[in-house]
Amino acid sequence: MSAKESARRGNPLTNWMDNYKNLEGRDKARWWGNFFINNALYIVLIILIVIVTVQKPEFLRLRPMLDILQRSASGLVMALGIAGCIVLTGTDLSAGRVLGLTACVSASLLQSNDYGSKMFPGMPKWPTVFVFLLVIAIGALVGLVNGFFVSKFSLHPFIVSLATQLMVYGTILIYVNQGTNAGKPISGIDKGYSEFIKGSVIPESWKTPIPHFVWYAIILTVIMWFIWNKTTFGKNMYAVGSNPEAANVSGVNVALTITLVFVLAGIMYGVSGFIEAARIGSNSASTGLNAELDAIAACVIGGVSFTGGVGRISGVVVGVILLNMISVALQWLAVSADWTYIIKGVIILAAVSIDMQKYLVKK
Amino acid sequence: MTNLKRILVALLALTMIFVLAACDNNSGTSSADPSSTDPVSDTSEDVSSEDPAPTDITVNVFIYDFADPYIASVRDAMKANFESASITADFFDAAGDQALQTEQIQTSISQDVDLLVVNIVTTASDDAAMTVVDAAKAADIPLIFFNREVSDAVVNSYEKCAFVGTDADEAGYLQGELIYDIISADFDKYDLDGNGKIRYIMFKGELGNAEADGRTQYSVEEANRLFTENSLGTLEYYEPAATDLFRPCNWKAADAQNDMQAALGTNPMDSPNAIELVIANNDDMALGAIEALSAAGYNTEGGDKSIPVVGVDATVPAQESIAKGRMTGTIKQDAEGMASGIVSLCSNIASGADLMANTENMNVDSGVAKIRIPYAKYTG
Repeated sequence: MSAKESARRGNPLTNWMDNYKNLEGRDKARWWGNFFINNALYIVLIILIVIVTVQKPEFLRLRPMLDILQRSASGLVMALGIAGCIVLTGTDLSAGRVLGLTACVSASLLQSNDYGSKMFPGMPKWPTVFVFLLVIAIGALVGLVNGFFVSKFSLHPFIVSLATQLMVYGTILIYVNQGTNAGKPISGIDKGYSEFIKGSVIPESWKTPIPHFVWYAIILTVIMWFIWNKTTFGKNMYAVGSNPEAANVSGVNVALTITLVFVLAGIMYGVSGFIEAARIGSNSASTGLNAELDAIAACVIGGVSFTGGVGRISGVVVGVILLNMISVALQWLAVSADWTYIIKGVIILAAVSIDMQKYLVKK
Repeated sequence: MTNLKRILVALLALTMIFVLAACDNNSGTSSADPSSTDPVSDTSEDVSSEDPAPTDITVNVFIYDFADPYIASVRDAMKANFESASITADFFDAAGDQALQTEQIQTSISQDVDLLVVNIVTTASDDAAMTVVDAAKAADIPLIFFNREVSDAVVNSYEKCAFVGTDADEAGYLQGELIYDIISADFDKYDLDGNGKIRYIMFKGELGNAEADGRTQYSVEEANRLFTENSLGTLEYYEPAATDLFRPCNWKAADAQNDMQAALGTNPMDSPNAIELVIANNDDMALGAIEALSAAGYNTEGGDKSIPVVGVDATVPAQESIAKGRMTGTIKQDAEGMASGIVSLCSNIASGADLMANTENMNVDSGVAKIRIPYAKYTG
């Protein structure tokens, strides 16, 4: 192997440039077409940033970017869970309510001991780790029910999670009336817990604190990336998503894979509830309502396809960031409420349609 | 086996016809009791059945959304009041869906309950409320609307209809007064950039909701009126280019927190155009905004930097937040007062009196059976 060749192989950029130079005129046009389609999401992101920056140059500073990062981090955890269900050609409507239930449970068990109107007066604050494990278990349990009915009774996840979502909501309503609470928002959470979620390792003098939950979201993203790409379970998930019969023939335990995907998703909802409870600070029965719709939209924007078997963790991350970027950008541009909804809808539809092109071309 | 099936189908068909006939009868004539074995009953029988046991009535209460924390506290107070008045009450959740609520009410009417208490979902138009009134009127069942306001025309269209609630706009006016009270105490301190104006952000509840509209509009109007009267500077919205002078946050803490965070990006607290006042249509959104502020080092417990944050409702978390010095003030909605007002009307029906009997001490609108439970300013 010559030195020149190995240098080429080591440098993808030059490689790519050479490839482009060797193309004919018509192929160059097609190459650009493919380039736009393949990177549609990033292009939409950049266009958004440019539009806002032209109007308000301060948008490109660190703080607004961190604001978007924070918003994205809090939504990302749920999206990472729900993405697996979408890869299986399914969906999960119970996500938002599981977030609500786990948020209420976390907040109520971690109210500070000196809070005047504790939900369970006299009961000392639980150790944070126990509560974390408890809410994960709650999420996993709902996921198990979802997964069990989807895999064993061949029901569509839409119907199963529609039903479990109702059951979870009923449970939330019962729960917020426990103790002395009578449906009031659950607040007054313990300092330690709040610090665990919202504290920042970056000194305050930097004026741009990054709350801990952003790091947790990044860690979870890495874990999920590993599970999706480097484990047998992850590969089975893609196989079942694209063709369950073929997966079954090639020896994949389809029922177990489906169940585990839903359990994993449930665990992620539990974690997001645990984070949101401290982040928002005031939790009621309406917490988490429709949160799954944002998460599903983010996944689909990020190229996790409802046709199954297609999707990447990086896509989910970009989808979540794009969705939050839209909200923040529209507020920066002082767009009125009615138009905000319309523009959001149009951008989502456009992004998804362009993004879908690359899969259509492939198929 | 097939025989059994046929018999079952026939039975089912018969039952359905029976039920349909009963329902039809119910809406057609003035009032019938479909739960009784005889689907045909006349009005005279019905009137006599109301007379005997006066305290033994069944009330059905329709809540627009069980998840609403303030309504939950009203519901809780109502339960206690009903119990002490020994009235049986069942509660239903419409979960924010008017179609569902209308169905629930129709089912109750077909069960011939004695009294309907409705926290209507749709307040932006009269149609939903009118449908409910017409159905109740046809069945001659008294009807009390509460909390979410219906128009005078709706209440006046049926003599056994009343409304118990607050004056939607009053909370706004009182909030404006509260803002004036707080800021006029030391205008220069609150006017961080010293431009003679107070830069505010407004978090609005549900779009198209009369209470959200009233609070959004009148809090600022009233505060500005008082400021101008006392020759102080007025309020100005933090975003000069905005066409809506509010952020729509649907009563939710999470939404208000996100929007406040973004607003702190356009108007950072250390910049000359820092936000100087937070106004929220309810306490939950105020608390969400406070969480975003405290991430920027403002409105923390025991901290030295803060800007005034005002809400409405005086929920328990808001009261705690005020006690800790993180929130500034709120407008108290009297959940107890509303519940006892409703239950006293129910007791009137139980004892055979008129719906609006014994309301001399209450604040009743003139010309329409609307009872107003007063608001109060709360600053801890």
